[in-house]
Amino acid sequence: MADVKIEHLVKNYQPGVARDVLRDINLDIKEGDFVVFVGPSGCGKSTLLRAIAGLDDITSGDLFIGGRRMNEVPPVERGVGMVFQSYALYPHMTVRENLAFGLKIKKVDKQTARERVAQASAMLGLDPFLERKPKDLSGGQRQRVAIGRALVQHPAVFLLDEPLSNLDAALRVKTRIELARMHEERGSTTIYVTHDQVEAMTLATRIAVLSPLAEGAATNLEQFGPPLDLYHEPANRFVAGFIGSPKMNFLGGMIEAPDARRTRIKLDTGVSITAGVDTSRAHPGDQVEVGVRPEHTVLLDDPRADNRITGTVLVAEHLGAETFIYLDVGGKDFTVKVRPETPGTARSQFDIGVPTDACYLFDAQGQAFPRTERFTRT
Amino acid sequence: MAMVQAKSIIYRKLAAHAFLWAWLALIIFPLLMVIAISFRTGNFAVGDIIPSHPTLDHWRLALGMSIVDESGRTIPPPFPVLLWLWNSIKVASVSAVLIVALSTTCAYAFARLRFGGRSLLLKAMLVFQMFPAVLALVAYYALFSRISDYFPPLGLNTHPGLIFAYLGGIALHVWTIKGYFETIDKSLEESATLDGASPWQAFRLILLPLSVPILAVVFILAFITAITEYPVASILLQDESKLTLAVGSQYYLNPQEYKWGDFAAAAVLSGFPITLVFLLAQRWLVGGLTAGGVKG
Amino acid sequence: MASAAATGQGIAAPVRPAAHWLKWAIIGVIGLVNLYAVTLMYIQGETIFALVTLILVATGLYVFAAPGAYVHRYIFPGVATMFIFIVFPLAYTIWIAFTNYSATNILTFERARAYQLSQSFQIADQSFDFALYGAGTNTYRLALTAADGERFLSPPVELRVPGAGPQPPASTAAIEVDLLPATAPPAAEPLPIKDLVRLRGVLQEVRAHLPNHTDLRMSGLRQFSAIRPLYQVLPSAQGGDGLILVNQQTKERIAPDMRSGFYRALTPEGEFTGPGIAPGFSVFVGWKNFLRVLTDPGVQGPFLQIFGWTLTFSLLSVIFTLAIGMVLAALVQWESLAGRGLYRLLLILPYAVPAFISILVFRGLFNQNFGEINVLLSQLFGIKPAWFNDPTLARTMLLIVNTWLGYPYMMILCMGLLKAIPSDLYEAAAMDGSNFIRDFFSITVPLLMKPLTPLLIASFAFNFNNFVLVQLLTEGRPDIIGAQTPAGTTDLLVTYTYRIAFEGSGQDYGLASAIATLIFIMVGVLALINIKIMRVDRPT
Repeated sequence: MADVKIEHLVKNYQPGVARDVLRDINLDIKEGDFVVFVGPSGCGKSTLLRAIAGLDDITSGDLFIGGRRMNEVPPVERGVGMVFQSYALYPHMTVRENLAFGLKIKKVDKQTARERVAQASAMLGLDPFLERKPKDLSGGQRQRVAIGRALVQHPAVFLLDEPLSNLDAALRVKTRIELARMHEERGSTTIYVTHDQVEAMTLATRIAVLSPLAEGAATNLEQFGPPLDLYHEPANRFVAGFIGSPKMNFLGGMIEAPDARRTRIKLDTGVSITAGVDTSRAHPGDQVEVGVRPEHTVLLDDPRADNRITGTVLVAEHLGAETFIYLDVGGKDFTVKVRPETPGTARSQFDIGVPTDACYLFDAQGQAFPRTERFTRT
Repeated sequence: MAMVQAKSIIYRKLAAHAFLWAWLALIIFPLLMVIAISFRTGNFAVGDIIPSHPTLDHWRLALGMSIVDESGRTIPPPFPVLLWLWNSIKVASVSAVLIVALSTTCAYAFARLRFGGRSLLLKAMLVFQMFPAVLALVAYYALFSRISDYFPPLGLNTHPGLIFAYLGGIALHVWTIKGYFETIDKSLEESATLDGASPWQAFRLILLPLSVPILAVVFILAFITAITEYPVASILLQDESKLTLAVGSQYYLNPQEYKWGDFAAAAVLSGFPITLVFLLAQRWLVGGLTAGGVKG
Repeated sequence: MASAAATGQGIAAPVRPAAHWLKWAIIGVIGLVNLYAVTLMYIQGETIFALVTLILVATGLYVFAAPGAYVHRYIFPGVATMFIFIVFPLAYTIWIAFTNYSATNILTFERARAYQLSQSFQIADQSFDFALYGAGTNTYRLALTAADGERFLSPPVELRVPGAGPQPPASTAAIEVDLLPATAPPAAEPLPIKDLVRLRGVLQEVRAHLPNHTDLRMSGLRQFSAIRPLYQVLPSAQGGDGLILVNQQTKERIAPDMRSGFYRALTPEGEFTGPGIAPGFSVFVGWKNFLRVLTDPGVQGPFLQIFGWTLTFSLLSVIFTLAIGMVLAALVQWESLAGRGLYRLLLILPYAVPAFISILVFRGLFNQNFGEINVLLSQLFGIKPAWFNDPTLARTMLLIVNTWLGYPYMMILCMGLLKAIPSDLYEAAAMDGSNFIRDFFSITVPLLMKPLTPLLIASFAFNFNNFVLVQLLTEGRPDIIGAQTPAGTTDLLVTYTYRIAFEGSGQDYGLASAIATLIFIMVGVLALINIKIMRVDRPT
């Protein structure tokens, strides 16, 4: 087991020609951490994982695994085990041969190799399939072989590149839970890449949110922290919009009067609301965006309905356990999650309450103003 | 198409069968003819498709046995057909093995590795493979006579020299194999790299075993190309005992010494195995031919 | 992307010191051996070949020695062979096109000069009777007697008849023998004449030297004569520049004429006069060969005629094979047709039989007098067409045979491409009331043409250069009347080139190469068009 430290990492496939894929990435991954790299496609999360594995070289910056600088170290000496998105099982070898391939290449003695394969196979329930070829396995079984192949190497760092993306929805949830349990038991340092923020939130001890590098941006690492910190204190509009499902609603507005605790904001729709944020660094008249999570809205009969927002119902989804109503608020989509029995007739007016402490606020550059309160739904 | 068909389809089917059989009769006539001729008496005799007085004389000569004609003279085999066939098979198999080896390593680099001049080389190969070797025969001759001066085992009138010359024709095969490699998931080799395999091991233990089908196709194509190659072999080889079948066979139809019957037996004898190889392999070859051509 | 390169560099690093030394030792040895060979070639005037060897060996050593060139190790062997056997012959052919390289001008200047300087003439009045005496296995003594009775005897000298194995011509150097004055012949009997006959070849290499420095050489089975070099370089004191040679017999001065590629006699004023003295050497003649192709009526006429026929032949071949191949492919892909597998197999048969065999079979079948085709035609219609003597019939025959040979390839290609046409297109057409003929012309053909185009261009280029067919079937005959070079009415440009280079008395490599260069340009243009159509650089 080992810690992973990334300092000022830059990756560019064609320096001087193309834009950086990764810029100034700094991450300090502790021993035993389960870190998830999450972001939309093209954000470089897989590239970052491949750079850690040594499959892609690093343009500049440093990578340390277990305190050793790894920039020029070949992949095999980095002590990492990797599960590929496509699983990359060798089609011409049986499951057993797949598991043992790395040990054979490294000339691990036969007895040890056998034990390690048996151990991994037992742990993943692969014993009945050991003599089969990958093409005779189901998706879930293949996935477990891929994990097993990384496990037998006893890696110090365990790397997984979108391991669940090729599974169907039910199996995905099941495997997710298994992965979490495995990490619980083994406690190995794990880095996991996904574009699915639900996987990130459920698995990670800490999440790194990456974005496609914008023109002139200093870095494309948007935020790095525990899942709930990202949920409650997103550093910027990108993270706020990416973490949470359904997505956060955004409404444009303008600061009426900066305040260290509670700020009055005049929305573009003309309504003024109060948000529990510290805007002492801002000026009156600054353009801002207010963010409200759908699950943080309340009906008007709730005592916490400090602010009222009015919209037109586009469509209502009754899921049984909950109901989502999609509103049009001043030309912008606005989703609210309400009690299951709430009716919502299309094209009708709908008023929703927004608690002061449920508001997020972002400046014109997308940076978040510090929140002074945290809304918790009861 | 499991569509509901009009009644006229019966007539269309009959017409199609009739057309195909007529065409096949036309196409296969020369091949049947040559088999018939190989059993006819004499080298000029004209006869029916099924010879009235079948004789095995031409076959004996083709197989290297002497025969005795009516007047009691012993006629030795005119040409060493079996030796030529052996020469052809030797040259073709060795060059096909080497071509597979060379084009596989090349194709691996072009499919998987990034290096300066990659795209330029790929395009240049496509252009150069269209130039026929026959145009540069003077240069070939000059080149091999120089090699003869400094290193005779690879020079003129040697089989290694001819094999060496055939190695130039790998461009198309590189493209075919490259196209196949590109269909194989790259993560397989990356995974092997993480498992500790060197690039060479990843190539040999992972990529090669998965590429056996296409390598077989390239081998057979290269084999057939080499066995039927005529111009370069006709320039480089001089001794009768060194000739390949493609060069030697034409001596049968020399206007001064026209050995039509002997040729027929030799042609059937030597052409049959090659045809058989092609027909047995055609299922894969058809894929290989179109893949090499269509893949861009 | 860069991963493999990165890992590649990572792998090259750990090398054990012993292996390291071994590697450098091997590289050093290869380098030195090749440096020696290259120097040797350069000295012998083979500048081009020396340069090519040097470039190849140097690149090879760099690629296999430098860690940075790891990736190139995979492509070097293949690219190097392609360089030697495709690029170099191509460049060399273009180079020859600008020289007068031919059967009469085949040597390099250095070799021609060396040849002239090695010529000698015998001085008739200095002959010696010659006898040979055995002195052990393969060892002999030469005994010479002058006209005045003066005797000379050589020490035992080894004379070995060359074995049957190949003997590089360069290694047969003269055998130098010093003669010593003797008073009497050796006691033994001289060898009989049959031994002299047996040893004649090696005896002719003997240069015997008298004590007074006269050189002698065998001039008859029982005679040695004094010889002297025929040519000597004119000393610079007499105005020689190292190039002018003086004939020792006639005192005539000769010098190399760098325009005609021959040594020629000089007038006292230093002008060339008289015909060239063989052997000629190859010299640079500029655009002369190309001008001959374009302007010389004896070359230009046949060239244009053959060029026209080459275009017609290639175009018609592509059209015929494509049309037949496409129809047959559509038929055997028709799912309601029984026995499709068998049809497919039999239809491919002409492609499976080696072309050199089937072409020769046709050559026999089309034979005017004994050929089965004419037998059939004369029985049915009473005609016996002269397939090989009438230009139009010969051309028709070429097209028939080429279509027979080529349609299966087009059929195979079309079958592959037909599979890619979604069947719902035909279903939609059926809904619109189309029939199978309309289907073929309005769906199948248009959809096939686009992916087929690059393959058709390649096929055109192949037929443009279809050497084997013409060479084995008609050898270009019947001949074009009045052509300066060997040229036939069924010749394609390639076979025409081949004939100029390798047939007839001229063996005009320069002219052949000039035509080859023109073909290279045409094929190159076709290839570039093809690449443009295929868009090779499209990222995969």
